[in-house]
Amino acid sequence: MDLSLLLDPYILTEVLVQGSVRGAMYALMAAGLSLIFGIMGVNNFSHGELFMLGTYVMFFVTVILGWPWPLGIALAAAVLFFFGMFLERTLIDTLRRKAGRDWVLDAFILTIGMLVVMQNLALISFGSERRGVTGLISGVLVWGPVIVSYERLMILGVASAVGLALWAFIRFSSLGKAIRAASQNPEAAQTLGINIRSIYTITFGIGAGLAGLAGGLLISIYPAYPTVGFEPVIKSLACVILGGLGNVPGAILAAMLLGIIEAYSAFFMSAGWQNVITAGLVVLILIVRPSGLFSSSKVERA
Amino acid sequence: MGLEVKNIVAGYTREVPILNGVNLVAKDGQVTVILGPNGAGKSTLLKTIYGYLTPQAGEVFHDGKRIENLKPNQMLREGIAYLLQGHSIFPRMTVEENLELGGWIMRDDEKRMKAALQQVYERFPRLKEKRSFLAGILSGGEQRMLEIARLTMTEPRTILLDEPSVGLMPSLVDEVYEEIRKLKEARYTILMVDQNVRKSMSIADYVYALALGENRYEGPKAEMEQRLDDIVREWI
Repeated sequence: MDLSLLLDPYILTEVLVQGSVRGAMYALMAAGLSLIFGIMGVNNFSHGELFMLGTYVMFFVTVILGWPWPLGIALAAAVLFFFGMFLERTLIDTLRRKAGRDWVLDAFILTIGMLVVMQNLALISFGSERRGVTGLISGVLVWGPVIVSYERLMILGVASAVGLALWAFIRFSSLGKAIRAASQNPEAAQTLGINIRSIYTITFGIGAGLAGLAGGLLISIYPAYPTVGFEPVIKSLACVILGGLGNVPGAILAAMLLGIIEAYSAFFMSAGWQNVITAGLVVLILIVRPSGLFSSSKVERA
Repeated sequence: MGLEVKNIVAGYTREVPILNGVNLVAKDGQVTVILGPNGAGKSTLLKTIYGYLTPQAGEVFHDGKRIENLKPNQMLREGIAYLLQGHSIFPRMTVEENLELGGWIMRDDEKRMKAALQQVYERFPRLKEKRSFLAGILSGGEQRMLEIARLTMTEPRTILLDEPSVGLMPSLVDEVYEEIRKLKEARYTILMVDQNVRKSMSIADYVYALALGENRYEGPKAEMEQRLDDIVREWI
């Protein structure tokens, strides 16, 4: 560990940007996971596989079809949004109606099953090789001692814009208000004419769309291969727990924090340490603050 | 017209029905009260009328239309509002957002929404004062007012009330019945389940007493008031 590097502004900003890009990816994943958990009570273990499908959509659109990359990212999000709604309506909704009261525990097993099926279908269909897309945008921004590639800026920009749009949607649109109402008191929401089934389907679609978007956006860092979703889902689950279960802004904050901490620990210690640090942090915070860093009672608006 | 329940059999599992053929009419513009001991099936009856439970047999009519196979989220469109037992506000949303959600089925009609909000605020100045507060920080009484106000946003014809005063401190109970009296004056058809026998009798027009999921007694208020002691003694 060479602490004299702490004084080098170039290295510090480089690591900060690297961490923020990671954090942005965790944030997109964690926001969807947290939204789904907050509203449906379901922990979607197959979220990483939705990310994986996003990477394949991105690869297919930009490399096989040769279409421009912004279209690839948009399609990764759109395809996964509809696929997510399809999964919810055919599998989770069916389970909820048949299993009755204890369906949440059954849903736990169901999403693990979805993980295994999607991962293996991808393996059979596409093989195990890694298919990446590099250099979506070339060039770097030089600003004093700070050098940042345009691609990273684009990733950060898109992730922030999407995060903001999600927040505004949940906060101000009438559908967003219905989603919040359904999470705070589903029975009462129903008496007001809100269709909980549709809310669940749309919520899952949004979560899946965010995972797809993350997959498309980060294709140059996480290429398409069947098990690429493992690391993102583990890390974003950690963020959901750190942020307070079901607390979307908390999860996003935790994601950025985790990304940056990981980047610094990888740089100043060694790459192997970053997962230890993540897991250690989760255990530590769960002991000190079992309801998460930003428990819902403190953050008033989810 | 009002609300009519015919021979309803319903329960949480097929093998154990809670309601064994209940019959009931809630007449247009009147307050109909359902009394009965714990476990008589009073709340279950409201839940069945509102579509939370699908009846195994029997029919429910609202203004002449059969509704027993409709889902809870379709009921407000049929003109039936429901005050759930316990808390039904959305605590982490503002008072105004809560009221707007009361008008969810008319969300595309901005004019109607504004007019409805205006009306509620005139009737409940306290809610207007606190419209940008989170509903969760209101006092217990104010939360109940918000719930009652929210029921009327879409001007339904019929209102189901499940234990409207339960869990409130005594000084607030009278306030709640005063609001229900106002709903009665506004000619809503009201069907109310209540354990607060005397208070609910005071605003009732017609009273049913259930026991073990069946009709036990029924009659106009005056008649039932005379028999009240006998009815209540039976429960103990």
